[in-house]
Amino acid sequence: MAAVTLTNVIKRFGVFEVVHGANIDIADGEFVVFVGPSGCGKSTLLRMIAGLEDISGGDIAIGGKVMNDVEAADRGIAMVFQSYALYPHMTVEQNLSFGLRMNGNPKADTERRVKRAAEILRIDELMQRRPKQLSGGQRQRVAIGRAIVREPQVFLFDEPLSNLDAELRVQMRVEISRLHKELGVTMIYVTHDQTEAMTLADRIVVLKAGNVEQIGAPLDLYDDPANRFVAGFIGSPKMNFLGAKIVDTSNSAAIIELVNHGGARLRKPLREAFPAIGAEVVLGVRPEHFFEAGQGDCDIPVKADVAEHLGSVSYVYANAGPEELIVEREASRQRASGDHFTVSIKAERSLLFDKAGARIR
Amino acid sequence: MRTQNATAYRFLTPYLLIFAIFWIWPIISSFIISFQATRTVPWRFAPAFNWGRLIGDPAFYNALKNTLLILVIQVPVMIALAIVMAVLLNSPLLKARGLYRFAFFAPVVVGEVAYSAVFRLMFSLDFGIVNKLLNSVGIPKIDWFSNVTPAMALIMIAVTWRWAGYNAIIILAGLQSIPEDVYEAATLDRVSKLKQFFHITLPLLKPVIVFCAVLSIIGTMQLFTEPFLITERGGPGGGTETLGLLLYRQGFRSLNFGYASAVAYTMAGLAIAITLVQLWLMREPK
Repeated sequence: MAAVTLTNVIKRFGVFEVVHGANIDIADGEFVVFVGPSGCGKSTLLRMIAGLEDISGGDIAIGGKVMNDVEAADRGIAMVFQSYALYPHMTVEQNLSFGLRMNGNPKADTERRVKRAAEILRIDELMQRRPKQLSGGQRQRVAIGRAIVREPQVFLFDEPLSNLDAELRVQMRVEISRLHKELGVTMIYVTHDQTEAMTLADRIVVLKAGNVEQIGAPLDLYDDPANRFVAGFIGSPKMNFLGAKIVDTSNSAAIIELVNHGGARLRKPLREAFPAIGAEVVLGVRPEHFFEAGQGDCDIPVKADVAEHLGSVSYVYANAGPEELIVEREASRQRASGDHFTVSIKAERSLLFDKAGARIR
Repeated sequence: MRTQNATAYRFLTPYLLIFAIFWIWPIISSFIISFQATRTVPWRFAPAFNWGRLIGDPAFYNALKNTLLILVIQVPVMIALAIVMAVLLNSPLLKARGLYRFAFFAPVVVGEVAYSAVFRLMFSLDFGIVNKLLNSVGIPKIDWFSNVTPAMALIMIAVTWRWAGYNAIIILAGLQSIPEDVYEAATLDRVSKLKQFFHITLPLLKPVIVFCAVLSIIGTMQLFTEPFLITERGGPGGGTETLGLLLYRQGFRSLNFGYASAVAYTMAGLAIAITLVQLWLMREPK
C-alpha cells in the first residue's frame, strides 16, 4: 500500500499541453476517481502515474518515492485497461500467471497468487478458458485478477466498465467497491461516468481540459461545487442553470432577478463576495430542489414538455421562457405534456455563479 | 427472390462461361489427358502410361527433390526474414516508413525477365558484383551457374529477394492489428521486449504466418521463372530443375501433354497435402 502524490504534473504532446500542472494528494488506501469529459486528460494522468507516458514536468511520487524516471514495471502499480488487454492466445490461468512466470517467480508462489485472485473474483471455473470464450464481465474480472496477482501497492483502472452493458456495469461497480474494502490498497479509477465516480470514490478529482477543477468527497462536490462546470458535471440529471442578474445587494445578501422568468426575484444570502449591481449571474438549481408552489422563496411558472417516469421519481422536462428546466418531483407522475404548473426555488438550495462560471458564496 | 436470383445469374453468365471454358474445362481435361498416351496419334486411353512412368522417372524424382529442397530451406528462411522486416517496419523509431514499405514491396512489381537478367549479371563469375564483394573480403570466386549447390543457393536467394518484402507487408498488417495495450499490459508485467516478441507477437501472428507459409508453399511448388531464366532451364545439368520446369519441358518442349498433366496433378496434390499438414500442425488448440 502506498500514497500517491502528483506535484505540478504537466504533459505536453509536442507543443500541445494537455495537462497543466496537476496537484493531487492521494492517501494510502484511498479510492480516488478521476472524472471529466472526453479529452480532459484523465487517462493521460493515469498513464503517467503508471509510467506508460513520460511526464513533461513536475513530480509523481508513489509511497514517498519520486517515480519520474522509474520503469513502469518497477512502480509497484497494476493497471486494468478499458479494453481488458488480455492475452488472447492464453487461457485465463496463463493470463493471470504470465507476468510472474516470465519473471521467474517461484512456481508455488505463482500458483498461490493465481488461486487467491481466482477465489476473490470467483473465476475458478473459468481458468482453462480463453478470453474469446468469456463474456465481457468475465473478461473484466480476469483483467482485474491479473492486476491482483501482482500484489501491487496501487491499482489503476482506466475506464474499466465502459465496454459493459448497463446491468453488468452496476454489478461490477459493486464488485470493485468490495474489492477495495477487501484488499485495502490505494485505487485510482478513471471514468467519464459521474455515477461511477459518485458511487465508488472516497474522493473525486474533477478534470476539465487538463485542469483539476475540484477535489473532494462525492457529496461535498455535489453539495458545494467550486464552479459551474463541477456543478453541471456532478449529478444526474444535471443541474439547471437559470440566467439572472443582481438588482440589489444589502444585509449580507443579493437580490437576484431571474431574467427569463418575468422578473421573478430571489433574496440570496451571501457571505464571501458581493457582485456589482447589474452584474450578470447564473443561478444553479438541482432538479430535486424545485419545490411546490409557495414553498420556496421564488415561484416560477413552467410548461411540461416531456415526462420521464422512472418509478421512484419522475423527471419533467419543462419549458420556462427560453430555458429548459429538469424538475424532479413526486407529483410529476401526473404531469403530461403541455401541463402548466408552478415550481418554487429556495435560496438555500440554490447556487450562484458569476458569468465566467466561478462560484459566488 | 427467385426472379432476383435468375437476373443475377444472367448478369453473371458471361463471366461464368469464360470461367467454365478457360478454368473448369482445362482442369477436367488435363485430368483426363493425364490418363492418356499423348505421344501417339490418335491419343489413346492408357491409365498406367503416364502415372506409371512418373513413379519410375528419375527426372521426376530429381525435380521433386529440388522443389522440396527449395521449399524446406527457402520458405522458412524467407518467412523468418519477412517477420524481422515487418517488425522493423513497425518500429516507432523508423523514419520514412512509407519509403521502406515501398522498397520492400517493389521486387514483386519488377518484371520477371528484368530481375532475372540483373541477377545473372550480379552473380556472373567474372563480372558480377557478388563475386567482387566476396573477393574483397578474401572469399574465392564462386561459379554460381556451373555447380549445383551454388546454383540452388542462387535460386533460393533470388526467390527470397523477390518475395520476402511482399510477405513482410502482409505480416506488418498482422502486427498492426495486435492492440498496443496488450504490450502495455506485458510491460507492466515486467516482460522484456524480447520475451514479448516470442510470447505475444509470434503467437498472435500465427494465423498471418500460416497464410504467408501456405501462399509460399503453393508458389514454390509451381516455381518456374527463376530456374528457367536465371540458371538457364534448370541447369547445370538439371541440378536446379523444378517440377514446374519439368512440366514445361514435357508439355511444351516435348509436347507430351499426358505426362505434363500427370506432373501438374502431382504438383497440385503435393501442394494441397503439404498445406493441410501445415494447417494441422499450426491449428488453434481447442
